[in-house]
Amino acid sequence: MSAKPGIPRNSLIWLLVAQVLVILPHLTHLPLWIIGLWLGCASWRIQIFRMRARYPRSWLKALLMIGAGFGVYFSRGSLVGLEAGVVLLIAAFILKLVEMSTRRDALVLIFLGFFAVVTSYLFEDSLVAGLYSLLPVTALLAAMIGLQQSSLVTRPWPTVRLAGSLLLQAIPLMLVLFLFFPRLPPLWSLPQAGDRGTTGLADHMAPGDIARLGRSAELAFRVTFDGDIPPRDQLYWRAVTFERFDGRRWSQSYASQLPQAPEWQAAGEPLSYSIVMQPSGQPWLFALDVPQVASAEAQLMEDFHLQRRQPVNKPLMYQASSWLDARREATSAPASLGRALQLPEQGNPRTRAWATELRRSAQEPQAMVDALLKHFNRQPYHYTLEPPPVGSDIVDDFLFETRSGFCAHFAGAMTFVLRAAGIPARVVAGYQGGEVNPAGNYLSVRQFDAHAWVEYWVAERGWVSVDPTFQVAPERVEQGLEQALAREQSFLADEPMSLLRYRDIGWMNALRLRWDSLNYGWQRWVLNYQDEQQSQMLQRWFGKLDGQTLGLGLVALLGVLTGVLALLLFKPWRRETDVQQRLFRRFERLLARHGARRHKGEGARSFAQRAAVMLPEQAPAILAFVSLYEAQRYAEQTDATDDLSRALNQLRRALPWRPAAPAQRG
Amino acid sequence: MRLLPRFRDRWLLRRIPPASSVRLNQRRIFIMPTAVGLAFLVALLLMLLTAINYQNSLAYGLTFLLGSLYLVTILHTWRNLAGLVLQAGGTTAAFVGEQALLRVRLESPGRAYQAVALGWPASGLRLVDVPAGGAVEVELSLPTQRRGWLRPGRVRVESRFPLGLLVAWSWIDLELAALVYPQPSIAERPPGGKVPETEDEGTLTHGAGVDDYQGLRAWQPGDPRRRLHWKAYSRGQGLLVKDFASLLGNDPLLDFDALDGDTEQRLSRLCHWVVDLSDKQQPFALRLPGELVGPDGGQAHRDACLRALALHGLSEEGVK
Repeated sequence: MSAKPGIPRNSLIWLLVAQVLVILPHLTHLPLWIIGLWLGCASWRIQIFRMRARYPRSWLKALLMIGAGFGVYFSRGSLVGLEAGVVLLIAAFILKLVEMSTRRDALVLIFLGFFAVVTSYLFEDSLVAGLYSLLPVTALLAAMIGLQQSSLVTRPWPTVRLAGSLLLQAIPLMLVLFLFFPRLPPLWSLPQAGDRGTTGLADHMAPGDIARLGRSAELAFRVTFDGDIPPRDQLYWRAVTFERFDGRRWSQSYASQLPQAPEWQAAGEPLSYSIVMQPSGQPWLFALDVPQVASAEAQLMEDFHLQRRQPVNKPLMYQASSWLDARREATSAPASLGRALQLPEQGNPRTRAWATELRRSAQEPQAMVDALLKHFNRQPYHYTLEPPPVGSDIVDDFLFETRSGFCAHFAGAMTFVLRAAGIPARVVAGYQGGEVNPAGNYLSVRQFDAHAWVEYWVAERGWVSVDPTFQVAPERVEQGLEQALAREQSFLADEPMSLLRYRDIGWMNALRLRWDSLNYGWQRWVLNYQDEQQSQMLQRWFGKLDGQTLGLGLVALLGVLTGVLALLLFKPWRRETDVQQRLFRRFERLLARHGARRHKGEGARSFAQRAAVMLPEQAPAILAFVSLYEAQRYAEQTDATDDLSRALNQLRRALPWRPAAPAQRG
Repeated sequence: MRLLPRFRDRWLLRRIPPASSVRLNQRRIFIMPTAVGLAFLVALLLMLLTAINYQNSLAYGLTFLLGSLYLVTILHTWRNLAGLVLQAGGTTAAFVGEQALLRVRLESPGRAYQAVALGWPASGLRLVDVPAGGAVEVELSLPTQRRGWLRPGRVRVESRFPLGLLVAWSWIDLELAALVYPQPSIAERPPGGKVPETEDEGTLTHGAGVDDYQGLRAWQPGDPRRRLHWKAYSRGQGLLVKDFASLLGNDPLLDFDALDGDTEQRLSRLCHWVVDLSDKQQPFALRLPGELVGPDGGQAHRDACLRALALHGLSEEGVK
């Protein structure tokens, strides 16, 4: 070990491999020049190792660092924030490679690598990403082992095998820590990974918006019901309501976002379920009407949708119960009725006239709604993902000209007609249905399940939901979008690679469902294993636990596992296979307690004779043991070790009991 | 201040008594985190903070995995010394100022041991790999400053393998001792005169010498090449050497008392002549106060003389 130990070849190889593996998952959010930087730095480092290049001089190092900083600033527009921070981290990780000349530098590089792996989790935390990250970690460990090996060890494979076996041995301990280590709420807030182009419902709706979602097979959320999955036509997942109409698009009103609990009466049996929703970039949670959530974080808003304070930027799991037959604001006219009658001053004159006419023939609001639904059912309306363009009076054009549209057209038009006829109504946006996964008995709701429907208010019944799309394309509600668009071939037309397109190939579909189920399990049991889930789970298994018991249990379990591992590693039962040798050593220890110590290099026989002189009373037993020992040792009678241990016991009984030998320099 | 090391030495003496062969077991191996290990723990703490603040289960997972790895490494680092048998090998004597060589044999009773470091922290540790079931001999060199027995004391054996996060070590006393001869310093002429004359000059033959031709005898390893009888060899009679006997009385006497200067200077000069005369195959005698070595010639005589010089005035401690 010289003063400045260099980096062994083995370590360098694994460091280079580890760098590739660490950077690879980051490529989705890294600027491309990082790849060039890595190639340059890696080949430079290899040339240094082959003594064909020098280490960079300090001015060049400074220049590279400043250059990387500028690169980050220009490609990310900032030097702070998570994205820019990660690019800086990776750039440092790469530049350090060239500068690395001592083992200490290499260790810095390895630690940076571990951090880079951790930051990759902030962008992608799927099952695949989690398993993949074991590769860079193994390579980093191999590089770490290589640093300790003597430079004569040049074969890289045994090193990485050792790294892998160390990791495997660590996994049981890791699982224990993962399960029992107490989870804390965030200590301070940090920049989060920004908008990753999430698709989903927006806080407003123009006629074509939901049709656009209809082309995306991206997952919106998954639901596990405590009991059976209810029939499809009951699965109206409310996200948000649109009360304001400006002639072109529907949008949320400010008042509906007030956290003022509306009045409602539960009726019937509640449905309990848990939902894991994908990041939506919006603060709404999805639920069936009328929901109650266990978490204090989300609240029921005035228009019966669930909302939390921050937008959902990472997968969120929550428990909810819903009363499907609940009566909502039935007893008294709610304050929101005024908003539910709002219409723009101008526009859509034909619709307004038609609404007044309809209302005149049907006095009761219910009769009016029925007439409207019958109209959609009887007239040649057409359900399509590709509605023809409409003019400035969008409701007029839709109802009397094109007569074809997606759910948003129908819901928007119906609400408009009801309002024009003086019946309070609003558009509800959310998702409808979902795909049942038999492999995990849960429901996956995707973006193409996005839907819009209508609710209107009648005295004494309160808010009533109604779905005009059902009148036009009942298969949309009963079977799903794919069936509703069977004639059109437009289902997932933009996603040729989506596995969902191959649903009719049996084995492939089964495989897809299984994979989806695996990912859902990962999300529910691993990614969402945080504060609440942990305490619930531990409580289910062990009953009520306080912090102290948990801590002690954790330490005890770790100790037991480490002990088991130690037993497996050291195999103490195999240590001394030479029984005679072991017995002789015990014999020595026994006599040493009585003052007879064997000198260095003294043979068994001469030692025994000397001991016999020192302990004349036990002389026969001592000599008997040694004779037997010699006979077995040198005449190769190896099968009679029992006799030898019996002889030792006889000697022990002959001697008075004495504690351990006093220390004495031999 | 001196209390602590003395206490430590006494404790070590009890725990790891000196022996020429030591098997490292749980009583003899100590283990501690290294600076790298502490830095690793700090890094883990940072990762844990990241996991907490981002509420990221995978970050928790990796932190726990690396933390568990730390625990596992304790066992592995410890195991990389456990069971290793260290034996004292031979030592090579040196003159003051040279490096004394002390050999230690490392023997593996079972598995392979990688990157075991051995030596004294002051002079740097040697890194060796011990193959499974095999043995390696390590030559440790130590600078010498004083003549006499060089007892380096407890040798440190340590291992940071596999991850360098922890160091397992032991201090074992293999009773290593190397003889250090005085530093030869040139003197103009051999001190002292001749070996005290006897009456009958030159009649007493006394072992091998250079004075008197005695005849031929068969060659033995160690015989000087200059005395090979090449003629006999060319006649096919095998390797024969011309045998001379030294005549007692003509041999120079290297006398301590005939020199001036202090003891060490005198010993140095005597040392020079012992080496010089031995190289010339010249028998000689060495007289130190209270001790007469020789007259004689040959390697054994040289060693005896050098040993006498090295240990002059010192106790023969350690040669038990």
